[in-house]
Amino acid sequence: MSTAAKTRPGADEATAASNNGKIVLQVFRGDPSGGGEERFEVPAVEGMVVLDAIHYIQANFANDLACRWNCKAAKCGSCSAEINGRPRLMCKTRVDEFVNQEIHVAPMRTFPLIKDLVTDVSWNYEVNKQIPGFTPAANESVPYRMRQEDVDRLYEYRKCIECFLCQDVCHVLRNHDDKSVYYGPRYMVRIAALEMHPLDTKRRSGLLHGAAGVGMCNITKCCQEVCPEHIKITDNAIIPLKERTATDMYDPIARVARKLRPRHEPAGTDGSPDGLAGTRLPQRFAVKDVVRLKSGGRPFARVGAVRQDGKLEVWVLKMRGTQQHWKGPKVINTSDVTNNYGPLDDVGIGSKLFEQQLMQHSEHGE
Amino acid sequence: MEDFTTLTTDVLVIGAGGAGLRAAIEAAASGARVDIVCKSLLGKAHTVMAEGGIAAALGNVDSEDNWQVHFQDTMRGGQMINNWRMAQLHAQESPDRVYELETYGALFDRTPDGRVMQRAFGAHTYKRLCHVGDRTGLEMIRSLQDRVVQLGITVHMEWTLTRLLKEGERVVGAFGYNRVDGSFVAFRAKAVILATGGWGRIYKVTSNSWEGTGDGVGMGFEAGAEVLDPEMVQFHPTGMVWPPGVRGILVTEAVRGEGGYLKNSENKRFMLEYDPKKKELSSRDVVARSIYKEVEAGRGTPHGGAWLDVTHLGAETIKKKLPSMYEQFLRLADIDITKASMEVAPTIHYAMGGLRVEPETGETTLPGLFAAGEVAAGLHGSNRLGGNSLSDLLVFGRRAGGAAGAYARNIGLGRLDERLINQEQQTLLLPFSGEGTENPYLLQQALQQAMQDGAGLARDEKGLKGCLNTVLELRQRAARIHAPGSRRYNPGWHTARDLRFMLTIAECIVRAAIERRESRGAHWRLDYLEKDPALGKVNFIAYSDAGTVKLKQRPVPQMPPELAGLFDDAASPGALKSSSTAAPEAKRIPA
Repeated sequence: MSTAAKTRPGADEATAASNNGKIVLQVFRGDPSGGGEERFEVPAVEGMVVLDAIHYIQANFANDLACRWNCKAAKCGSCSAEINGRPRLMCKTRVDEFVNQEIHVAPMRTFPLIKDLVTDVSWNYEVNKQIPGFTPAANESVPYRMRQEDVDRLYEYRKCIECFLCQDVCHVLRNHDDKSVYYGPRYMVRIAALEMHPLDTKRRSGLLHGAAGVGMCNITKCCQEVCPEHIKITDNAIIPLKERTATDMYDPIARVARKLRPRHEPAGTDGSPDGLAGTRLPQRFAVKDVVRLKSGGRPFARVGAVRQDGKLEVWVLKMRGTQQHWKGPKVINTSDVTNNYGPLDDVGIGSKLFEQQLMQHSEHGE
Repeated sequence: MEDFTTLTTDVLVIGAGGAGLRAAIEAAASGARVDIVCKSLLGKAHTVMAEGGIAAALGNVDSEDNWQVHFQDTMRGGQMINNWRMAQLHAQESPDRVYELETYGALFDRTPDGRVMQRAFGAHTYKRLCHVGDRTGLEMIRSLQDRVVQLGITVHMEWTLTRLLKEGERVVGAFGYNRVDGSFVAFRAKAVILATGGWGRIYKVTSNSWEGTGDGVGMGFEAGAEVLDPEMVQFHPTGMVWPPGVRGILVTEAVRGEGGYLKNSENKRFMLEYDPKKKELSSRDVVARSIYKEVEAGRGTPHGGAWLDVTHLGAETIKKKLPSMYEQFLRLADIDITKASMEVAPTIHYAMGGLRVEPETGETTLPGLFAAGEVAAGLHGSNRLGGNSLSDLLVFGRRAGGAAGAYARNIGLGRLDERLINQEQQTLLLPFSGEGTENPYLLQQALQQAMQDGAGLARDEKGLKGCLNTVLELRQRAARIHAPGSRRYNPGWHTARDLRFMLTIAECIVRAAIERRESRGAHWRLDYLEKDPALGKVNFIAYSDAGTVKLKQRPVPQMPPELAGLFDDAASPGALKSSSTAAPEAKRIPA
């Protein structure tokens, strides 16, 4: 039955895909004891996605080829794989993207292999169990009233289809293989959805700061790059959670103030990110403090110097792809700062890099 | 006999879609120990594919709406062969189920005054579908999933159960295998709830995932439960057509609910002719047939469908109200639906038929065996209205869970029949040990093609009989399936067992379709174009007689006068003449 054209991997890379209407796939086959790529040729069909090709292989060449899939419409998040090295959904990846290229399909590498393209993702489900669920007030009257703005805001997080591609690409989980210190981007999204639900009463800052390990993320944004639902995981879930955690853990007055905030009031209506304008005491600043600016995009910055006139010289965090770098110095008023996290290293903004840059600056400048 | 793991529980729930999860939550709330088994990972069930919304007469947008109107819409949509009591319970209870879902953390779009927003949908008199964009199913399953996790209910992911175990007539457990390592597992349970969904994979062009192989109906049938209305298979009017790789993928009815137009190749809105009153929002059977007729008349699109156009709604509305459709077409078909029409054609979507159950409890004809959701039958009659499925899952999932919990409280564990287990092990292992050479996938494809051609949207006696022969022949060949490879995560081997259920159900579908010599709802006979009032008084039931498929008739349950009175053109369901397309204005009785 197995009529697959099997050759050694890389034998004719150059001729590759779409020759004579054929697509060439190199599919990982194996189990925990070992394995490697196997080459298959599949007839090309217009509009074909990688999952179609895998199905063709399954039906015609390798009945026992293991892969997960369900909806085939990018709604269930089952068919996650690494396609030419990039974590993607097989059902959403068109084969005609790969002109004259072989298509390499491999299982997600962050999770233990079960067989072929199937990995053991059960760790994710265990993590999920540790997150306290939606907890409305006991006396909340049903049916609920909510504002569309609140639903819209939460909608982004609720779009998550649990494909675990973000978990796969997260280098805390992947490279360091340290699943004990960080829940991973998926669960930051889940916690963000719960924390920002207008009727939820639970606070998860302790969990975030502790077991969930929000500080482990150093904002390389790889997760949001691979998200098939285009959730801005880092920008809209992780960073606000870092901010909230820092405030709750290090700014007791703000924490009390938030508890006193009237419920149902959408956050940010008073112009501050967390609805706390007017409740904060004057902030003090020191060199190295991590601050958040009010200007467009609310960027992170670090304080380079506190000037005599009370103004600050700050260095703004910029991303070049996945590379962090500090741009500055820029002179601002203290009122341009929304949050001061103090000299934190655990918000993930490399302090070593910053110190180097600051030193370079002072050497050149003086 | 090979060794196997045996687990003991009070209530075993098979299936983790909307119905299974809701049933598990209720059974756990009644104090029972609950175990859920599902074929995929948790949260991947076909419920996530539901896009449009949950039908519930909240009256938040159209204040005239109430359960009586919803009840009438459901009965008329099903062409009056529905179980009236199920339709009544469904219409009465779905509002509470929606509000309850919110307490689990679900979010719905809101009205300006902050209540749950509702949208128009096919054959619903009023704006009734509670939704969040076009991802309502995902929202529902995630909320239920979170609740199940919160309650600490055990979920066994990627296990497949293939045999119900009985002690006498009572179902006392189930047997199957762990998909990951291929080892065998048995459950001893006081009550078993089937929530395994439908059987759309029996057809070639389908919106269903691989899981829709009708396991629950197949297991129930083999154990002796009755299968009601198997011939009633719903074609969703709008599935994707082109490119071929995406054929069958669902295009939500919400596209029409939000105001989309169906047009033929002459750029004419043909639904204005087929149903001048409800137009694009006629019931699914009517719209599917209209598209089919347009194509037959030579007014189809290049790939044999119709155009579905939303460009007049404006890009902003489209992206806000139909975000996943926008993404789906852009990504998979290179079409920007804010600028160009979608090409659509009918796709197999839903099985109205399934196991016959008691309306109040979801108990099947076998003691100890309950069923809820698509695996059960009765609520939808011959045609399901869009949005009635999600509410079905919640209403009857809860009922089955509660009833199974109560049943389990008053009864002890049964004994597992080793003989049955041994038999099932042999059946399961046959593809490895036998002399067979048949490829499970190719056999499945042959069945899908045969059913698509012979028992599809438009049926006639000749086609159906030819199809039956093919199905019977495939059943023979299925005994000779060969599964290469080991038992570790081997989808070819899994397909071999799934296929046996699919073949059984296919036979039930075709045999009942041959006997229903009329056109009613989704069942459209080209050789019997009219409704037959006599057949409007009966449901067909398929049952197992020593393994062979037998058919019998059962009278449609009669409504009490106060409900029958809602249908002013009929004193009893069977006598109703009007089609759903010409439904008179809904009448109300005091609640």
